Amino acid sequence: MVDVAKLKEIARETVSRDDVKYLIGWRQGTFGFRAAPHFVNKPEDVDQLIFSPLCSHNLATYLTGVEKLPVPRGQEADSRKVALMVKGCDSRAVVLQLVEQGYGRDSVVVIGCPCQGVVDQKKVEAKYPDMGENITAEWGEKTIIFNLPSGKTEVPREEVLAGKCLTCRYPNPLLADAGAWEEVAVWGSDDYADVQDLEAGNPQERRAFWEDKFASCIRCYACRNVCPMCYCEDCILDRLNPQWITRAVNPTENTAFHLSRAFHLAGRCIECGECERVCPVDIPLMKLNRKLTKEVRENYDYEPGLDPEAKPLQASYRPNDKEDFIL
Amino acid sequence: MDILKLSKDKFADFLATLSEQKLYAPQKVGESLRFAPVTENSKVELDMANTTVPPKSIFFPQTETLYSYEMGNTEMQTPREVDEGIVLGARPCDARALVIVDNLFAWDVDDPYYQDQRAKNTVVGLACNKPCVNCFCLSVGGDPASTEGLDVLMTELEDAYVLEPLTEKGQKLCQSVAAVTEQAAAEDQDGAKALHQQAREMITRKIETEGIPEKLPTLWDNSLWQETADSCLGCGVCTFLCPTCHCFDIQDEVEGIEGRRCRMWDSCMFKEYTLHTSGHNPRPTRRERTRNRINHKYSYFVQKFDVIACVGCGRCINSCPVNIDIVEILRQAKEAL
Repeated sequence: MVDVAKLKEIARETVSRDDVKYLIGWRQGTFGFRAAPHFVNKPEDVDQLIFSPLCSHNLATYLTGVEKLPVPRGQEADSRKVALMVKGCDSRAVVLQLVEQGYGRDSVVVIGCPCQGVVDQKKVEAKYPDMGENITAEWGEKTIIFNLPSGKTEVPREEVLAGKCLTCRYPNPLLADAGAWEEVAVWGSDDYADVQDLEAGNPQERRAFWEDKFASCIRCYACRNVCPMCYCEDCILDRLNPQWITRAVNPTENTAFHLSRAFHLAGRCIECGECERVCPVDIPLMKLNRKLTKEVRENYDYEPGLDPEAKPLQASYRPNDKEDFIL
Repeated sequence: MDILKLSKDKFADFLATLSEQKLYAPQKVGESLRFAPVTENSKVELDMANTTVPPKSIFFPQTETLYSYEMGNTEMQTPREVDEGIVLGARPCDARALVIVDNLFAWDVDDPYYQDQRAKNTVVGLACNKPCVNCFCLSVGGDPASTEGLDVLMTELEDAYVLEPLTEKGQKLCQSVAAVTEQAAAEDQDGAKALHQQAREMITRKIETEGIPEKLPTLWDNSLWQETADSCLGCGVCTFLCPTCHCFDIQDEVEGIEGRRCRMWDSCMFKEYTLHTSGHNPRPTRRERTRNRINHKYSYFVQKFDVIACVGCGRCINSCPVNIDIVEILRQAKEAL
């Protein structure tokens, strides 16, 4: 469990440091069950920080997504650290970003927040529709407590938590410089039931399933932009020459887009589920990612983002690696 | 022209009659709702808050072929004639958005592709009986039962719909469904009006727009834009789902000896939107891009066409992955300085 008061204390100390540029955490949102990323630039901004079951966002994406302007002549680049609050799944993103040398270890301060699961907006909005005012939430004993206008309501966690949290095996941060917490017990186990459904079907059925889902894609690229592991400066999707995937929105290009995205995350997806959360047309993207995660685990006994000293999957050749897929 | 009543048990016949022309209506595509052509197997969903993708996609498709060509042939092929059609179930905010966007597509040049679709389609609106939590149409000149941009306004009563024709096209449509409808009694018409009033009272989100178009450009260097952009992911959710966003890119798609020139939705939130060939980008970060999005809707468009390019549908608020909230931004802008 996280002691939020203590966490705020740590946050206050951290943003007061001369070598820290800002801290990224969460705050309450503007309506319903929403929280929002919160950029803390000065100690007084700490007051708005929260850590609750509404804190879905994986903030690690802001470490690699920052847009840097050229430094004006005569000035030096700002080399201060960025402080970041991470849940268990988020910490895997930081670990893998470090493994891939996305940035240096000394450029971040990681504040750990063990997590008992975050709510799925769609589930909770279906359960309590039409909530105009912003609702706060907290964790109970195997429950989520919502402070609704009508009073406190306690709901079994299975009813409102995101799917990824129900099978979570890493609720505790795997990397942290600071934190105010006791570890939370792992209560999920993962048998990839969501992937097995699809695997059971024949190729025609799978094709029909994905054609239906991809047909609704509007190519807003929210899934790519929110992904903490999608941080190539020159993305295949933005390339015009050669244009690997055209801007035209049609079944062929949409399929090429989603398969490219999934394959670029093979052995790299840390299963935070952000792509699926942000999709405005509800494409079940984690089914694709998790199929690849499962393959990687079964074939290479590899899980990304667990060990900062590990090598990336594609750089970790072993002579006895399976190669029966090579034609 | 008479106001009609369509009993719900005749709705299937009504649909069948309308389907004699090309008919678009809200349907589930994948897991989301959008306007799609009605076919025999379609399940039309009018029991909805609103569609995920606005009906602008009919008039201004996400990908549209302007013309096609092939090697060895100096003639370009322009697309076939557009059929007359009906758009059923557009929310009044989305129909108002069409009227706003009409300004743009008739501005420096008449856009034949858009204008053809507008002229040939009859828009049947569905008044909002239950606005969603982020609707704020009343603040930007709209109304849950606004008739702007509509040919027919439909209001759902408990066991029937009331159909009010508003234009010549609307009257024609109403005549075509005479066999399945009856004249609406005074009490049905009053019932519809009562529902409209009830819907107005359900809208809680509000912004004060007075002075905003003049004030926004004065906040050019305000910290508001950086603070808003801090969490922005730079995706296209807010712009692609916006019923008034109308920016497009034009690209050639060539395969073998055949090619086509098409236009596709573009988003001012994408970093390559204003990227020059030289590598220079006048809107280099999300701060400038966020500032532009809000300024364009609430200031530049107003200066040019005297109307705010936002209809208060709430889609950008509902779907933003990081809870960037235009009502909140405008509140802060109003308070700034």
